Amino acid sequence: MLKYLIKRLIGIIPILFFVSIFIFLFVHMIPGDPARLVAGQDASLQDVEMVREELGLDRPIHVQYFSFVTNILQGDLGTSLKTKRPVLEEISQRFMPTFWLTVWSMAWAVIFGLLIGVISATKRNKWQDYLGMFGAVSGISLPSFWLGLMLIQLFSVQLGWLPTGGMDSWKSYILPSITLGAGVAAVIARFSRSSLMDILKEDYIRTGRAKGLHENKVVWGHGLKNAMIPVVTMTGLQFGFLLGGSIVIETVFSWPGLGRLLIDSVSFRDYPVIQAEMLLFALEFILINLIVDLLYGVLNPQIRYE
Amino acid sequence: MAETMLKIEDLKTYFYGDDGVVKAVDGVTITINKGETVGVVGESGCGKSVTSLSVMRLLHDTPGEIVDGSIEFQGKNLLSFSEKEMRQIRGNEVAMIFQEPMTSLNPVYKIGKQLEEAIQLHLKYDKQKAREHAIQMLKLVGIPRSDEIVNEFPYQLSGGMRQRVMIAMAMACRPKLLIADEPTTALDVTIQAQILDLMRTLREESETSIMLITHDLGVVAEMCDRVVVMYAGKVVEETDVYTLFEDPKHPYTRGLIGSVPKLGKNANRLDSIPGNVPTPSNMPKGCKFAPRCSNVLKVCLEKEPVLEKVEANHTCRCWLYQNTETVGV
Ligand SMILES: Nc1ncnc2c1ncn2[C@@H]1O[C@H](COP(=O)(O)OP(=O)(O)O)[C@@H](O)[C@H]1O
Ligand SMILES: [Mg+2]
Repeated sequence: MLKYLIKRLIGIIPILFFVSIFIFLFVHMIPGDPARLVAGQDASLQDVEMVREELGLDRPIHVQYFSFVTNILQGDLGTSLKTKRPVLEEISQRFMPTFWLTVWSMAWAVIFGLLIGVISATKRNKWQDYLGMFGAVSGISLPSFWLGLMLIQLFSVQLGWLPTGGMDSWKSYILPSITLGAGVAAVIARFSRSSLMDILKEDYIRTGRAKGLHENKVVWGHGLKNAMIPVVTMTGLQFGFLLGGSIVIETVFSWPGLGRLLIDSVSFRDYPVIQAEMLLFALEFILINLIVDLLYGVLNPQIRYE
Repeated sequence: MAETMLKIEDLKTYFYGDDGVVKAVDGVTITINKGETVGVVGESGCGKSVTSLSVMRLLHDTPGEIVDGSIEFQGKNLLSFSEKEMRQIRGNEVAMIFQEPMTSLNPVYKIGKQLEEAIQLHLKYDKQKAREHAIQMLKLVGIPRSDEIVNEFPYQLSGGMRQRVMIAMAMACRPKLLIADEPTTALDVTIQAQILDLMRTLREESETSIMLITHDLGVVAEMCDRVVVMYAGKVVEETDVYTLFEDPKHPYTRGLIGSVPKLGKNANRLDSIPGNVPTPSNMPKGCKFAPRCSNVLKVCLEKEPVLEKVEANHTCRCWLYQNTETVGV
């Protein structure tokens, strides 16, 4: 198990290497001239060239990439063009708000998604199922910014119960995490419903009932543990959507997180920040995949880590 | 008179599907006495499994419903039981073994846990005592290394071993009635013989009544005291095992016996019954077996015979033996 983990962690290195090339090229293809932005609109051509030299943007692209990588390896992610502060500082400041927003969204998305999925599967073609699946389809098809705005309109503007944005107290988490988690909850609900419905037809479910087990134990124990195997993979993938979704949600709710930082840095062509953020997203994605694989083994005894 | 363990009377279990009603079990009467093994035989699809699931009231999640008849277990009418009362019977006083050992155990739980669940539930043992009992049961059914097997998962065992685990699980709470639905059908011949051996040994030690469902008359001959022959959801013949092989009455039973390949004889299944089991949408009006019957009479195509006593301890549903006066033709 430990050996497997180490092997997987080592395996991340080449992936990150390719990802870094991709990100580097991608960022350099964004139209707009960062040197011009830093120097200012009314700077002379000479000043712009000077800034370009200062930033090292005049060097050949492979040289630029090489110094990008060596700097990262030394823990130096560069300096923000906009704020002139170290990128690492900028990002670490914004990391926790996004992290907690994601965790809360995921937590309630998993809890409600599973609950709805299991109820729908056990009450199939009854009103509980129809209601649950109506909710799930809505959750998938409503654009999250629209849902966010509607929630703000209702709970903040009209009822005045919750703040419209910012991150001041625990109350601030409620609306953004609901908005962000809705789509994921919906996907989990639909996925666990169909997965559990298949599992409940299995022979060992009948064995469980024939033992005299309570139906709840049959469904939530014998059924769900098997049904979770595909659901876990799906949920892992959804994490990626959450990362993307947070960009929109953080803008709607003025959330001081990584998503908004990315929007700001893209509009400013603050490419050291963009690069660092994209690298961080990639790393998160890879780690989530690893966690999913490990969870898989916890659920499925036939998987052996070699 | 022996003590009656299970008494199924005129049981009717229908399935309500998109294209009409399927009368899977349509008037089945079976009595099983204490310590007795009763075979239920018939071709695939004749309603054997549905009969057994009806006894356990395990038709959840199917469009099936018990529409008529009664099922009495030790004098208590199971059909009047609440779900909670049924749960106290299942796995405790009435246990079941299924046909598919490969899929009947939960792949994500250890063998031990799967056994202990029922033991803790019904015998109210604590965890440690349940574990000891589970290991002891596994030993009893001839599983080597049983103290290690409890910590293994089903995929680590062969089909024969898994069926032994299923038997251990079924016998763990010392049931009064064991329903075995084709327990050896999915196993190869040598393992089949071992499992049947095991069931015989357990039966002698525990005096459990057994309802043994099978489509294999060889199994019946080896295991059963009495036999119920089913065809298209109905009982067509019932008698003790010797009479069944010595003097079968119903043409269907005769066909079944004829279709057992015998060693040394021409095993070409020359006598096997021609034709197929009628489909629900295509049920004959009279005797359900008439279209395949070699002794078919005119009346067979028009009117269905009833199950009648042809000799003491021998009943048969066939016009060839029917007392015409009582039926009124
Ligand atoms: N879950 C189900 N849904 C609909 N029909 C069923 C179901 N289970 C059984 N049946 C019907 O009941 C008939 C008898 O099935 P079964 O009792 O399984 O036969 P067997 O004698 O082979 O055990 C089948 O032919 C089928 O039409
Ligand atoms: Mg069957």
